[in-house]
Amino acid sequence: MTELVRHHEPVMGTVVSFLIDPGPLPAPEVHAAMEESCAELHRLDGIFSTWVAESPMSRYRRGDLDWCDLPEEIPVVLELCATAKEISGGWFDPWAMPGGVDPTGLVKGWAVERATAVLARAGVAGALVNGGGDVATYGSSDGQASWRIGVQHPWRADAVACIVEISGGHAVATSGRYQRGEHLIDPFAAGLRHREAGARAASATVSGPSLAVADALATAIMVADSDALGTVEALRGYSAYRILEDGTEEATTDFPLAGTRQPCRSAR
Amino acid sequence: MTIATASGLALVLVTHVAAGSSLAATPAGVTRPNQGTQATTPTTPTGSSPPSNSTSTTAGPGGRRSATGAVEQYGYGEISVKITVQGTRIAQASVVTLQTAESYSQQLAQQIIPTLQSEVLSAQSAQISTISGATYTSEGYAASVQSALDQLGIK
Repeated sequence: MTELVRHHEPVMGTVVSFLIDPGPLPAPEVHAAMEESCAELHRLDGIFSTWVAESPMSRYRRGDLDWCDLPEEIPVVLELCATAKEISGGWFDPWAMPGGVDPTGLVKGWAVERATAVLARAGVAGALVNGGGDVATYGSSDGQASWRIGVQHPWRADAVACIVEISGGHAVATSGRYQRGEHLIDPFAAGLRHREAGARAASATVSGPSLAVADALATAIMVADSDALGTVEALRGYSAYRILEDGTEEATTDFPLAGTRQPCRSAR
Repeated sequence: MTIATASGLALVLVTHVAAGSSLAATPAGVTRPNQGTQATTPTTPTGSSPPSNSTSTTAGPGGRRSATGAVEQYGYGEISVKITVQGTRIAQASVVTLQTAESYSQQLAQQIIPTLQSEVLSAQSAQISTISGATYTSEGYAASVQSALDQLGIK
């Protein structure tokens, strides 16, 4: 039984938590990998932060930076955003954000995914990286093939609404109405009005192979209509769970709930 | 290795308070159910008088010290954060109070929680590695963290 290594890194306006099963990897190499992983998060934050006026993303949004001068990561992320917009049926739409294209709803998950890949390349046996609630996993956890992750209860700080059990390489992202900081926009609402009172779900969770995509889809199904889960269910490898504002829970049939508990009703 | 010193975090947080929230916010319940070092304060029922800004510090084994930060306002209510440090390094951060205050939340708290409560799993005993959740606004979280660090005498 190896001892799990923990670390909390303040970055991207949140705290990114690492839980690493080093396996046979010597401690100095584990620490070097974690350092490299954190450095990658800070580097990506420097590129994408929309709160830093001189970040390349901010400069691009206000037209101060040409497409051909962008760091290579920005076109990569925007292409991923376009894909996420398409597969979400338009409910995730960074181009509908006020102030110009804003990939914030996807980029945190994408950055955490990249940070997790750094650890995998370094040869650690397993890792879980939680970027402010968006969770990427890799490999095994203390010899167990799966990771158990609680989904935050939307109305109780000290409780989880359910537990998902996923194998290494899968991700879980949750978006919620109990948060602030990420504005939920209904891209189909006239005049791009904020749907402060109109979001239909209190909490939305998506699991799948890519944390970037799961992050975007969780954002999407927060504001999407009643067929939202059907949209996710149609995507290979992705599953979803929502708690509506009236307390109703719904989930796709393949959502990886741990144990025998089932949500109140299936989406289908 | 990269160790987030408490002083480093404090600087970052001060910046965030000044500049507004960054990409997102804070960890939703970075609870560590296996460590048993958390004193979770139950969420105050909505509609009651606001909690006081009382704070506390405790000393634990192995030079670990904890402090619970002041209850701070955020967009939907109130939040407070408990910080545990080992020396000057932050070992743990967790949300101990989260109160929603919006009218919609108050209605929901009364009507819905009894339903979901029967299904509620305690994060303290669920044998989970982490929690996936939406993030809290960074200003309130950061301010509470800062007050916890102040109590611990970490600049």
